[in-house]
Amino acid sequence: MTFFDVVTRSLTRRRLRTSLTLLGIAVGIAAVVALIGLSRGLVSSWTSGMKSRGTDIVVANMRGSLTPKPFPASTRDRIARLPGVSATCMILVDLMSIENAELMIVSGREWGCFAWDNLKLVSGRMPNDQNERAVIFGTAAADILKKKVGDTVQIETEELAVVGIVNGGAFVENGSLVLSLPLLQQIMGNQNQVSAIDVRVTPGTDIQRLCAEIDRLVPEAHADPAGEHIAGSEGYRVINAMSWGTSLLAVVVGVLGVTNTMLMSVFERKQEIAILLALGWRQSRIVRMILWESALLGFFGGIIGVLLGIIGVQLLKHAPALRGMLEPDLGANLMLEAVAIAVFVGVLSGLYPAWRSSRVAPSLALHG
Amino acid sequence: MNSNSSGPKETGSATLFEASGLKKDFDDGQVLALRGVDFKIAEGEFVAIVGPSGSGKTTLLQMLGALDRPSSGTLKYRGQSLFDLPDPAAYRAHEIGFVFQSFHLLPTFTAVENVEIPMFEDHKPRAERTTRAVDLLKSVGLEQRVNHFPAKLSGGERQRVAIARSVANFPSVLLADEPTGNLDTESAKHVLDLLTSFHRDRHMTLILVTHDMSIARRAARALQMVDGHIVFDGDPAKLSMHPIV
Repeated sequence: MTFFDVVTRSLTRRRLRTSLTLLGIAVGIAAVVALIGLSRGLVSSWTSGMKSRGTDIVVANMRGSLTPKPFPASTRDRIARLPGVSATCMILVDLMSIENAELMIVSGREWGCFAWDNLKLVSGRMPNDQNERAVIFGTAAADILKKKVGDTVQIETEELAVVGIVNGGAFVENGSLVLSLPLLQQIMGNQNQVSAIDVRVTPGTDIQRLCAEIDRLVPEAHADPAGEHIAGSEGYRVINAMSWGTSLLAVVVGVLGVTNTMLMSVFERKQEIAILLALGWRQSRIVRMILWESALLGFFGGIIGVLLGIIGVQLLKHAPALRGMLEPDLGANLMLEAVAIAVFVGVLSGLYPAWRSSRVAPSLALHG
Repeated sequence: MNSNSSGPKETGSATLFEASGLKKDFDDGQVLALRGVDFKIAEGEFVAIVGPSGSGKTTLLQMLGALDRPSSGTLKYRGQSLFDLPDPAAYRAHEIGFVFQSFHLLPTFTAVENVEIPMFEDHKPRAERTTRAVDLLKSVGLEQRVNHFPAKLSGGERQRVAIARSVANFPSVLLADEPTGNLDTESAKHVLDLLTSFHRDRHMTLILVTHDMSIARRAARALQMVDGHIVFDGDPAKLSMHPIV
């Protein structure tokens, strides 16, 4: 028998109570995994979308929202002249309610620019020219709206023909409806306005320096390396803060649950602890035993929580409001962070019960 | 010490415990458990502590086991004050073995695991702990019950496991608190035989608290307590002259 056996045996003695405590921690950790996974997924999905388009820098005005605010298309001319810029692409993007889908990404792209190159036809064809009243669907968008080539789709007041289904090589791209920039500008009433300029740089260009240069030249927008424009936006920061805030609340509930369990356990085992002291165990060993018990509760609660979180995220991913818009980021880092938080919660929760255990009088061993 | 006592027994062996003016009160002095106790116990003695409930027997045992501190007075172990020990846990782990009336085995551990528990502070390898625990269970006749949980053992068997546990670290002193109090006559005899054999064969000092006069008479010396005083200290055969209750 090892000291670890002593610790685990204490936990398995009250199986129902231990299970309920584990569940309490697991729910908190599941919230962390799901909310933070979705929040980080927002950034990673857009970053991979940018990468699939071959975009190095995004010039946009995110302000407090998740979709950029439009600014004059003429801005592009100033950026295109900068040394290090190899290509630019004007984009107007918005989140719109399309038919029975609550939120879909609609992306109007400058005709013939590089942001069309990554779109690989799965079926149908590309629009013939920028004036054709046609739209192409990413594979996920087509699935969500149940569209196929030859169908029509209502965008605002316009009915457009679905001429192609494409694979954009990234989750966000596949969840988008793509049409020509002038067509979307006309539909949205945003003539000569764009919401982003995608920039490709020549090899060897210092991207951070170029971003700073664009910022000086274009005060109406902000340049960021691809992906960071989402992470740096106020909207994302609010979402991230809300995710952590909600997770923190769930974790606090977990802390209270473990503290309660461990405290009850210490009260119930007062005489047992006194016996261990009478048999020569040091108080420090008793304290370690209690802390290990609570840490283990945290650890296993964390593992269960991660699994619940993954299941929860899969369910959320298919919720109408999120479907096709982002791929949750459930990387190993998040899992490790979640389990580390759970273990920290366990140890934190065990501190007071451990202190109480150290106050048990060994003379109790001779009572009863 | 009360005038009825015959004084500390002189055995010729080294003094193990020496108490002087030992007092213990509870509830801010409302309850006086020990009212100035003096005695010496020599190494290797078998001493029975007898007395009615509330006479201070258990409190005295707590002092001897360094489980509690006195209100005043001194209690020395091998010449060193028990209450100024730098490491009381080490004293309890290595010098003292406890046998309790209610056995106090941990219910989620098997017999062999219960015997291993005191060995954790001994920092012996796991295999060595297990081997020693199994050997001790064999020595108390429980080789067939090594992997049984306490709930599957009879009262006598549980107390034998508790005795094996008490000697796990080969202590110098066994402190037994009514070790046969919860046992039938047959089991009680077996348990008492075991305790006396450890005392005899391993030269352990045995200090046993009991209500049972027949058990007390098996000791070489009896300390009789009444109301926190030692009223008799001497040959247990003469205890009948001094009724316990």
